[in-house]
Amino acid sequence: MSVWVYGEQKSELGLEGTITRKLEEDLYEVFIGPQHPGSGHMRIIVRIDGDIIVEADPDMGYVHRTMEKLSEGREWIKNVPLFERMAIHDACNVTVSYVMALERILGIEPPPRAKYLRTLLCEINRIAAHLYGFGIFGVFIGHSTMYMWSFADREVMVELAEKLTGARLTHSYPIPGGARRDMPQDFPQAARKAVRYFRRRLDEYRKIFLDNPVTRKRLEGVGIIPKKIAAELGVVGPVARASGIKYDARLAEPYDAYDEVEFEVPVYEEGDALARAWVKFEEIKQSLRIIEQAVDWLEKHPREAPIHERFWAKAPPLWKKVFEAEGRVKLLPLMANLKLPPGRAMARSETARGEIVYYVESDGKTTPYRVRIVSPSARNAIVFKYIAPGYKVMDLPTIYGSIDYFPPEADR
Amino acid sequence: MPAKPVVKRLPARRGLFAGFKGNVDAITIGLKYLVDPKRFTLIYPNEYIKLDPGYRGFIVLDPKKCIHCSSCARICPAAAMRMIKRMEEDPKTGKPKMKLWPVINYQRCIFCGYCVDVCPTEALYTVPYHDIVYENMAEMDWSLETFVKPPEHPTAKEGIPVKYIVDEEKGLVKVRAEEVEEK
Ligand code: SF4
Ligand code: SF4
Repeated sequence: MSVWVYGEQKSELGLEGTITRKLEEDLYEVFIGPQHPGSGHMRIIVRIDGDIIVEADPDMGYVHRTMEKLSEGREWIKNVPLFERMAIHDACNVTVSYVMALERILGIEPPPRAKYLRTLLCEINRIAAHLYGFGIFGVFIGHSTMYMWSFADREVMVELAEKLTGARLTHSYPIPGGARRDMPQDFPQAARKAVRYFRRRLDEYRKIFLDNPVTRKRLEGVGIIPKKIAAELGVVGPVARASGIKYDARLAEPYDAYDEVEFEVPVYEEGDALARAWVKFEEIKQSLRIIEQAVDWLEKHPREAPIHERFWAKAPPLWKKVFEAEGRVKLLPLMANLKLPPGRAMARSETARGEIVYYVESDGKTTPYRVRIVSPSARNAIVFKYIAPGYKVMDLPTIYGSIDYFPPEADR
Repeated sequence: MPAKPVVKRLPARRGLFAGFKGNVDAITIGLKYLVDPKRFTLIYPNEYIKLDPGYRGFIVLDPKKCIHCSSCARICPAAAMRMIKRMEEDPKTGKPKMKLWPVINYQRCIFCGYCVDVCPTEALYTVPYHDIVYENMAEMDWSLETFVKPPEHPTAKEGIPVKYIVDEEKGLVKVRAEEVEEK
């Protein structure tokens, strides 16, 4: 009985990309999902020998919404709320790079204030998304306390995001040239309180979850991705960083305010589920640091409209009045039918789950000619196929939860 | 000062009693919250959240300010806002004249707030509540008559307004809305 591992792919009936091998005797084929409560909107077909996974086939696409194609029929700015729906709890991170690509084609750079505001929301989203991931992870491995705790604490971050943008999840915050709102007066105080709360609270997370011997037993040594294989599979985000790969889009190509704020990118070398959980845990701490720095910077600098001159210089007086009273950046009617010059641009940003890449091509119309999105979960899904074999069936939820796979984002 | 990668090591499991200590720590924390739980459940509809004025809730039209420019309908990403034609009497000439008015379909609206931000005269505004229930889908497609006045907010009639504030000790705490406003 050979275990089907990375590098030994065969297709006996000659159908590429599909496992067409006859099942060996004594193997069971188990369909985990899409109805299974622990599979998300996807299906994993596993073939097991006793309790050991021999093959695993991630079957994606249950929530495919043809987003790339839909975007071709919408005006540039209308795609922000569309792409946001890939990962609504990580809304700013997944859309900021699309907006950056548009800015590159337009040849404009947002003012520093807008950059800091976007970075602030990105980090709020990152913490919220990591807590979401922790919650799902916890409930996958039967640790429902973790689920309750992180979903409750996530509310703190959602509350901050709501203060900043006016919406809990689908903020539609970045727009070409800047951001849509400045922070309200009571925001810095609330943000600082939240940061202090989390610093203390994270220690309790460590005690009840990460250092809990029960959890540790289930995570340690499970789903090990060695560094070389991680690089070959092309995994991104916390999955790569838990395998010793020092890669982060904020590091490789600092965007927005990331080249001005100070933070660390935690890297672990063990490559197992425990290391992946620790990467996320440490990242939350770093995000807290960035939030603090961003809030300090924003408080110190004068409250100017966080949008590029091009969309503000000719704005009528009402625009300025609304901004002063409410901090709301009103949009010029030309935003609806914004014409981009012909050109192409690529932009990437680091979402909670890894790097998202947009390729945007304009042929000079009000709608995109082509938008190509490579989302982090789509790149990490490959882990199921090549890493899960060899582990027990009960380890599958651990692997799933630790890579924090998010089907709506992968399927687009 | 750009970011720097830092290689970290997983905490080692030290000694014979490491497992024991881990268990004790976890159970102690669990017991702490069993005795002194941190709850902030909203007892809806007996209570309701009094949202900040900046919240992007239901959108309402101020007909006196509207200049019939269609910007809101053009920017709407969900095609929720559309323009309808109305025959109206022109105040100057007294003759009937065709006018365009925006109407909103809440079956489609995603509350992105683009329309509010793009309106050149601030004729659209948001109300800070979001919990309105409809008996059927047709009611959600508002007519112009419905659009010009703030929708009824039934929970505000019976429920107690509360607010969630960020707290250093407890994360979020639920307090009566009046208490926050007094401060
Ligand atoms: S809030 Fe957004 S979706 Fe709703 S009507 Fe306005 S523009 Fe359209
Ligand atoms: S954008 Fe404002 S002024 Fe123009 S049609 Fe809409 S509501 Fe009226």
